[in-house]
Amino acid sequence: MGESAKRTVSNVVVTLVGLLVAFLIIFPIIWLLFSSFKPSNELFAYPLHLFPQNPTAESYFGVVEDGIFVYFKNSLFLAVMGTIITVITSAMCGYALAIYRKELNYTNKVFAVFLLGTLIPGEILTIAQFTVVSEIGLYNNIWGCILPVVTTTTGIFMYRQHYMSIPLELAESARIDGANEALIFGKIMLPLGSAVTITLTIFSFMWRWNDYILPLMLLSDQKNFTIQIAVKSYIGTMGVDWNSILSASVLSIVPVIIIFIFLQKYITGGIAATGVKG
Amino acid sequence: MTKTKNTALKHTGAFWMFVLPSLLLFTFFFMIPLFLSIWFSFTNYDGWKTMDFVGLKNYITALTNADFYKTLGRTLLYTICNLPFKVAIPLLLATLVTSKSLKCTTLVRTLVYIPVLFSALVAGITINWMFGQEYGLINFLLQGIGIQPLQWSLNPTLATIVISVASNWVSAGYYMLMYIGGIKNISPDLYEAASVDGASKVQAFFGITVPLLMPTTFIVLLLTTVSSLKEYALVQGISLGGPGTSTTYIVQYIYDQGFNQYKYGYASALGILVSLVFIIIAVVQFKATKGGEI
Repeated sequence: MGESAKRTVSNVVVTLVGLLVAFLIIFPIIWLLFSSFKPSNELFAYPLHLFPQNPTAESYFGVVEDGIFVYFKNSLFLAVMGTIITVITSAMCGYALAIYRKELNYTNKVFAVFLLGTLIPGEILTIAQFTVVSEIGLYNNIWGCILPVVTTTTGIFMYRQHYMSIPLELAESARIDGANEALIFGKIMLPLGSAVTITLTIFSFMWRWNDYILPLMLLSDQKNFTIQIAVKSYIGTMGVDWNSILSASVLSIVPVIIIFIFLQKYITGGIAATGVKG
Repeated sequence: MTKTKNTALKHTGAFWMFVLPSLLLFTFFFMIPLFLSIWFSFTNYDGWKTMDFVGLKNYITALTNADFYKTLGRTLLYTICNLPFKVAIPLLLATLVTSKSLKCTTLVRTLVYIPVLFSALVAGITINWMFGQEYGLINFLLQGIGIQPLQWSLNPTLATIVISVASNWVSAGYYMLMYIGGIKNISPDLYEAASVDGASKVQAFFGITVPLLMPTTFIVLLLTTVSSLKEYALVQGISLGGPGTSTTYIVQYIYDQGFNQYKYGYASALGILVSLVFIIIAVVQFKATKGGEI
């Protein structure tokens, strides 16, 4: 067999394996999606079919009636507000830690305080966070789910790393031109950090959209539920309302899938470059 | 001279103005809860009115409690059993999608990554739906090839397997990307040379790829250890910790003690004890990555 024929064979084999693996990984989602359009007598009857025999959007109407759009709105509020605060505070903090590192000898000590945040997982502190949030009157309030999670060491770290690579002379010359510190940050430095801003915005949005523990513990009133809690509410101690949970699950992932489709390169690039992890 | 001093002062002010929002939020929602946890752990706080100092009682109760050790042991076993898969699967996926022989690379990469977008809860539900006991797809297929349907939710081992499948499914794409980053840093010359020396693809994989990816593997090991130890939402989408308590891991145990049984003090002590494990892991990671510079 010639060299090029050999290469063709290996191309075909590897590509087939790749497509098969991709299909296997994506299959549970396909199965979820098709199942969500089956009426209950089809969900729970053998033999199973991949495609719904009598497709129906009945269960989707059901979850809409249960108020899924209200939960969507709550999740959107949580994700958008949380992301705005995360991006602004992280940018300011990471910037300051990097840009004043030569003038002030304690910037690294301040950074070390934030690194404490990576030592202990939030899950361990939930009970005490719950107490703090309740004390300041934010129990059953979406802000109680936002404020405790907006400070991410990851975000501060990303900006700090980015601004460390920018020459300090840039700030210096702007100062000579008479710009004050806030202006230098807002007008010159923030635009220079837009790559980090985009990556952090996307990741923060997805983290907040998928937040689970604090909303579960803090939101008692059904009208305040986020989408994750709404999905969870279909799991009862006596069993699962499969009809509703399948369609609610499908709907819950639509926003992140849309973001992923449009902003894919920032997401995959972000992980490869910085190893972002919420 | 005065001018320099003034600018330094001005920059001190500017520095703190920039850092303040993060610092305030961090103090309020991390540092204070941390100190509160430590304080609660020495009291019999019930989340309501009672809060008497009880000394080391909670710690003694925890450390002499069989349930605590069982839960901790179960969590460690779950974590350790999953580690090989959490490293091997992403590594193999990354090798596959960086292969020059693979056409439609972007499509494969994208599809493999999509589960990462799922929340742990919905990922659990998605996988659990396939592993339904009575009308699940997997049991249907097993019956098709003449195997008895398996009791995925009644058998502790099988329930743990479903959770592990979901956990690997939702994280593989993420660690794959980290491995892709590592593989891209390996010089193609090495493979060239190995190929000239007559090494097969498999030999090159074990002789070059695996050893040179050790730094990435190390990080993946640490990250998956931490995330497996605190597995919670995923389990809520599958077994709720059952059957019995056979899939109740440590975070769920702490929440049960705190939020369901109102033993905030005891739950806080459990949290502090478990934190020690996480702190050790974090310190190892910090040292090994030279303070996160890598």
